[in-house]
Amino acid sequence: MAQHPRLTAFAIMATLVAAGTLLNLHIQHLRESEAYYRWFLAAAVQARMDGQVRENDPDGDLFRESVVALESAGFFDDFLVEYRQDPTEGVLPDPEEQAEEDYRTHRRIWDFARSRHAASQRETFLDLARQQQLRFARDIQYAEAQAGGVNIFNLFFGFRKVAANLLWIEVDRYWHQGNMYRMITLMRTCVALDPEFIEAYLIGAWHLAYNATARMPDTPWPQREWHDGYEACLGEKERFYYYAIDFLKDGIRRNPRNYRLYFELGFAIYKEKLEDYPNAVRYLSEAIRVPHDRWVPRQLFLSYELNGQFEEALAGWQDYIIRFPGSMTAVEVAPRFIMRNQGHIYEQRSHELRKQSYETDDPQQRETLQEQSTAYWERARETWRNLNDPYGEGRLMLMEGLDMRLDGRYLESIALLDKARWETAALWEELSDLIIETKQEAGIPLSVSEKKAVLRESEVGICPGMPPEEQERRLRAIEEIEARF
Amino acid sequence: MNALTNYFRGPFYIALYTYREGMRRKLLIGFLVLSLLVIFGSSFIATFLDPSAETDIDLKLIKDICVSAIAIFGVLIAVYISASVVPNEVENKVIYTVLSKPVGRMQYLLGKFMGAQFIIMVNLAIMGGLFFMALYMREGVMPTLLLWSILLTYFEFLIVSSFTFAVSCAATTSLVPILGGLFIYITGNLTEYLKDVEHRAGQTGEWFDAMIGHIATGLHAVLPNLQNFSLKMQIVTGQPNDPPADVLIPNLLLYGFLYGLAGFLCAYIIFWRKEV
Repeated sequence: MAQHPRLTAFAIMATLVAAGTLLNLHIQHLRESEAYYRWFLAAAVQARMDGQVRENDPDGDLFRESVVALESAGFFDDFLVEYRQDPTEGVLPDPEEQAEEDYRTHRRIWDFARSRHAASQRETFLDLARQQQLRFARDIQYAEAQAGGVNIFNLFFGFRKVAANLLWIEVDRYWHQGNMYRMITLMRTCVALDPEFIEAYLIGAWHLAYNATARMPDTPWPQREWHDGYEACLGEKERFYYYAIDFLKDGIRRNPRNYRLYFELGFAIYKEKLEDYPNAVRYLSEAIRVPHDRWVPRQLFLSYELNGQFEEALAGWQDYIIRFPGSMTAVEVAPRFIMRNQGHIYEQRSHELRKQSYETDDPQQRETLQEQSTAYWERARETWRNLNDPYGEGRLMLMEGLDMRLDGRYLESIALLDKARWETAALWEELSDLIIETKQEAGIPLSVSEKKAVLRESEVGICPGMPPEEQERRLRAIEEIEARF
Repeated sequence: MNALTNYFRGPFYIALYTYREGMRRKLLIGFLVLSLLVIFGSSFIATFLDPSAETDIDLKLIKDICVSAIAIFGVLIAVYISASVVPNEVENKVIYTVLSKPVGRMQYLLGKFMGAQFIIMVNLAIMGGLFFMALYMREGVMPTLLLWSILLTYFEFLIVSSFTFAVSCAATTSLVPILGGLFIYITGNLTEYLKDVEHRAGQTGEWFDAMIGHIATGLHAVLPNLQNFSLKMQIVTGQPNDPPADVLIPNLLLYGFLYGLAGFLCAYIIFWRKEV
């Protein structure tokens, strides 16, 4: 060895290069597995949110196949059940426990993704990803999983994030110039360069849903066009909302573990902009499954309430007080919302019992049910009285109005509901709907604005490009509504 | 033990001397000052943005710009130092004085290599330290993931600097190794193109075409792939507790160490018969 130092050095170098080569191949395997793991997580989250796996879809098929392999290899007994299992049940998860549980679950998925059990699925994944057939694998930062092998990512030698940032400054400039359409293209380039640019998704969606449409009038129905993808009649203004939704969904596909994207979609777009509460609950529920900030569950509870899920909202607020006992929200806000939801639950039970009493043929049972209904009605009244704020007062007037309607005192009921809606802005829509219902029940003609409101809320508009069967359905609905006027 | 201490005493002093001499170089100081200016100035980039959008976008800008500045200036420093430590001594004829002492070529080379690594580490520590402080002051929490990112960056530089060092052992001036080092860095980041060649090969059915594919496969496996270290960017802006990152980081450190050592031995083989 000492006699042939150069030979020895050469031998050692060759050994090192051989070891490096083996390690290189191992790292390549790890990076392939990482790309597959990230795709799997995104697909799993989507499956959890949809409640099912899509049929005849490359992502869905590969996901189903992967789940079978995952379970048969013993990593999970029933992955879909374990992963879908709601850890909250209306109650907030402990952030630390949740983070640990999250890590353990993802660790198991990662162990599977790099194991030999997933070899065939990894291979299929790479093939499909290269052909750009997987929705959840676009822009995974591993050249092997990209169409053409090497693309735009590699051109910047890893500095593409800086390029994305510089482009974002340009987006900001376009925003101030009012160049909305240029902005959209550039924003898409930004997130193509840096798929983890969360702020780009958030600000981009905010620009699209709020700022871009701020000065636009609602598009008149004849000028709207049917959109097959969204199954809605959209004009220029309305299309921007869906651009924002698509943009955020794109971000979710690429960053399934970031709560801010779910929150923005659930809160800012679905709850605030579109008032689509079922979808707001859907995305906010997902937001609290990943590590999140304290305000996220609060918005979820508010959405629960708006969506009529009073039990869940009540349980959530109660848990919030236990979780953050000294916070201002727990002391000042949560107790009010607990009472509000409690009041709603009593009202709801009273309505249910009254409905059951109408349906039953047994007079004794009917009487019992009506007594129970009245008891709940009184408890609701008591709750609203104790709430002692404009909302509670509005609810009290609403209940009074309903009592009058039940007694056949329609005109008094309408007058009271009308007074209530002017005094409690939060109940405006609910009270207005009740006035219309009461008028229709009493056979009192609706005003022109009320008729328009009924038609508007029934989504009976017709627009060019609409499929004939949809057009037919809507025309029939218009006729039915107009017959009631 | 004594023999080992004696053996490494020479390289240690050479490394110390290399370090002292290297840190005085004006170009290196220039790179360092520029990088510090960029890191410091990254905080002002956010002023170009709309302040009404209350997001953490400025924080992301700072992170991305700083990591990139460290990567760019760091690699320039690594290449410049690794490329010049040996050729400069040949040019100044200092090497004759050193090698006339009871110092073996291996010891000399080890000292020079270690000296260059000290310089790279110190520069990286200064740049990383400033970045660390900037983030700490902005966020108020210890950005521990940044330490992993800096460590990964160093091991990436170790590969580039060791092979640049090998090139410099064959050169008489530092210009060629500097160009060589930059070439190594760029091609190291484009190694994945070889995989692309492999996928496209064999389409014509010609033996030559198939052979190109096999060569590409072999080269892709053997050549160091610096894109593997792109994880350093991901972990700074990504989320903590990422299972793949936990497994990839130790593998990448070992990977950098192995190729770094291979590069150094390559330098030794070249330097062994060099006429000085």
